[in-house]
Amino acid sequence: MSFKDHDKKTYIVDLAKDFGARRISKRDFLRKAGMAGIGFSAFNTALLGNTRPFRGTSLVGDAAYAQDVEMNKWLKDAAKPFKGKKIRYTSEATPPTVVLDKLKGEFTEITGIEVEIEIVPLEQVLAKATQDVQGQLGTYDLYYLDQSWVATFAQDTVDPQQYYKDKPNLAMPGFDFDDFSKPLVNGLAMYNGKWAGIPFDIPIMSTMYRADILEKHKIAPPNTVEEFTAAVKMITQAEKGNGIYGTGLQAKSGHYSLNCDWTQMIWNEGGSIFTADKKFSGNDEAGIRGLEVYQEWLKNSPPESTNSTWDGQWQMGASGQVAIINSWDEFFPGWDAADSKVQGLWQIKRPIQGKHGLRAVDKAGFGEIPNWGHQGGSVLGLSKYSKNVDAAWLFMQWACSKDIMVRCTLGGGFAPMRISSFADKRVKAKEVVGPGTTRHLPTVLEIINKDMASEPDMPLWAGFSNNEIPVNLGKLLTGQDFGGSAKKCMDTIASLIDAQVKEAGL
Amino acid sequence: MTEAALKGAGSTRLFVLPRFLTAEHPFPWLFPAAALMTIFGIYPLVYAIGLSFFKKNAATRKMVLDFDHNWTKMLYDERVWNALFNTLVYTGLALAFQLVLGMLIALLLDSERKGYALLRALMTLPLVIPPAVTAMMFLLMLNGSFGVLSRGLIAMGLLPVGFSILGNADTALAGVLLAEIWQWTPFMVLIMMAGLRSLPKEPFEAAAIDGATAFQVFFKLTLPMMSKVIAIAVLIRGIDLFRAFDYVKVMTDSGPGTATETLTSYAGRIYFGNADFPYASTIALMTLIIVIVVSSVFMKIFKVKL
Repeated sequence: MSFKDHDKKTYIVDLAKDFGARRISKRDFLRKAGMAGIGFSAFNTALLGNTRPFRGTSLVGDAAYAQDVEMNKWLKDAAKPFKGKKIRYTSEATPPTVVLDKLKGEFTEITGIEVEIEIVPLEQVLAKATQDVQGQLGTYDLYYLDQSWVATFAQDTVDPQQYYKDKPNLAMPGFDFDDFSKPLVNGLAMYNGKWAGIPFDIPIMSTMYRADILEKHKIAPPNTVEEFTAAVKMITQAEKGNGIYGTGLQAKSGHYSLNCDWTQMIWNEGGSIFTADKKFSGNDEAGIRGLEVYQEWLKNSPPESTNSTWDGQWQMGASGQVAIINSWDEFFPGWDAADSKVQGLWQIKRPIQGKHGLRAVDKAGFGEIPNWGHQGGSVLGLSKYSKNVDAAWLFMQWACSKDIMVRCTLGGGFAPMRISSFADKRVKAKEVVGPGTTRHLPTVLEIINKDMASEPDMPLWAGFSNNEIPVNLGKLLTGQDFGGSAKKCMDTIASLIDAQVKEAGL
Repeated sequence: MTEAALKGAGSTRLFVLPRFLTAEHPFPWLFPAAALMTIFGIYPLVYAIGLSFFKKNAATRKMVLDFDHNWTKMLYDERVWNALFNTLVYTGLALAFQLVLGMLIALLLDSERKGYALLRALMTLPLVIPPAVTAMMFLLMLNGSFGVLSRGLIAMGLLPVGFSILGNADTALAGVLLAEIWQWTPFMVLIMMAGLRSLPKEPFEAAAIDGATAFQVFFKLTLPMMSKVIAIAVLIRGIDLFRAFDYVKVMTDSGPGTATETLTSYAGRIYFGNADFPYASTIALMTLIIVIVVSSVFMKIFKVKL
């Protein structure tokens, strides 16, 4: 299969997934399918209807928020030399990107710089970015960099803070780097003392529960792993006949979502992925314990969990299939959406904690930060190979400015990156049940400040977390291999990873 | 029209074709196709072969020449052998089902009775849907929680409540094959139908006079006379099936574990997930070599000439 053929196929796949996930309308689906040369055959899929509502476009309110007039005036002047340029950016359908895609027209109107945002699944973003940096092509001016890839791509991006100083004529007045939450900067954006990008998205693990179901069974919201496990077992036993399970997982084999779940389980039991001597430690006592607890949770989850990523896990919550989830806070606003069956029923709290305490940061390797709240954030990186680096830099500052970040949060209800956004009056005003709610944000801010965990910063991590780890975990969880033994599975992963780390000379 | 002809045609010369275009030499006519073949076929192949002789450091991204690194690594990579096994199972099962169903449906539809023409036309509809869209449709239909097919099987008591066909290592391949077979059986039907329609009538008339049963006619006449058509259909579909990617990628992403991982999907994961381009190219080249060898042997045995 040629790359062109691969691109076409993946475009169609993405299109179908977007439609299935309600990120695009039926009309858009048919139009884009027509462009891809599918034509009327797409109609068959369109007839399936929208079965999987997602936290995407439906969250964006219609309310128009005033633009920052001063910023726009400055932008207009600064962008004069770049009028007519086009910049490209590829990203997963994260809430801020979805909202930004809707707002980008404002930027073009002010600056004359066109912005093309390609929204594709996570693995496609990685593939596109990898190809771009390997060939130093500059096809994309901006990269969406998941936190697990930051170390891999740090060498390919411009340090935004340094660039801000180096190009005073292009430095947005009042941009204020200090306004970005410190844990986010340290845990997400920094690599080897350099800003790899600007924090752009911060889904973080929290414990979310259906208050009505817990109340019905007289269960208190769990604070510990043990309480969580006991609660999900009890609920599954009592409610399985009604199609309700204790919890739901994002345990799709070979997908990064499974890696995220697994890392949290290891940290919860006092373990880490690597030790300070850079050896894989998922197979130590704490690691095995964590995986065994996860196997127990899986027994109390909808069977579709092993074929679900975060989309599927969110769907389980939206369809009323599950009672408690230890997962991404950004699910929350979607469950409160206008058309949601569970509006107002979900509550959020700080993530559960394990009884063994956390492994100290200096005992973990590659900059890993064990904690209770796995962060799945991303940064917006400015490509070193961009042919329109200054135009892209202007867009990047605009997208990460105080005004736009607040408006993105208002549009999607997800956690902002800036400290000032949390305190913004408009954000506070939406702390009520309803579409684009921000009622979970005070808890999220607390989690960011107290519980934020980060995966290792190493160039090989993108590969490990998308291949070796989730593929072998998938084999274990679906009974393909290892005979249900967490130890055997972890030992296999350890040997694969240690060998590659050694070969790479890290 | 040559230059001389143009001159003779009238006093006004509209245009004169360049000499190389009016020559009888085949070069001008072969050049476009040859150029396209070189750019999109030969160059990528040569590039992939070259790439397979490099070893990439995942941390530094530097590539050093190491002729046997990837080829040796591949021999000891269990996932390659698992992927090869899955590919063979996938190809074999899909081919068997498509062939048998294709022949049966073709025999059923090979009639001039009223309405059959419409049925034949309807049969082609699945073929115009892109495989990725078909895969998406089946992904939704096989969802353990709300998929119409899964729910149907659960309602019939064939599956436990909520069972995830694609999330279970024992059943995932069957789920993927379902989409593959649904989409490509009509292709077999079309080929078989064309073959059936081209058969001479006389042997069948003679068999009818001799009182041969329908089974005897099928096994003693139809099948032997269709052997060449069947061989070509098997060859075309076999090559296509060996490169299975779309359905696997969309429906299971090679999982659960490696239960549905094929050679091409594994190469894709190594390429896009681990960014190990040389090793991914080596796996892709091995796939190509297997296809060429198996196809050649098949063509030799069944005396297929394309």
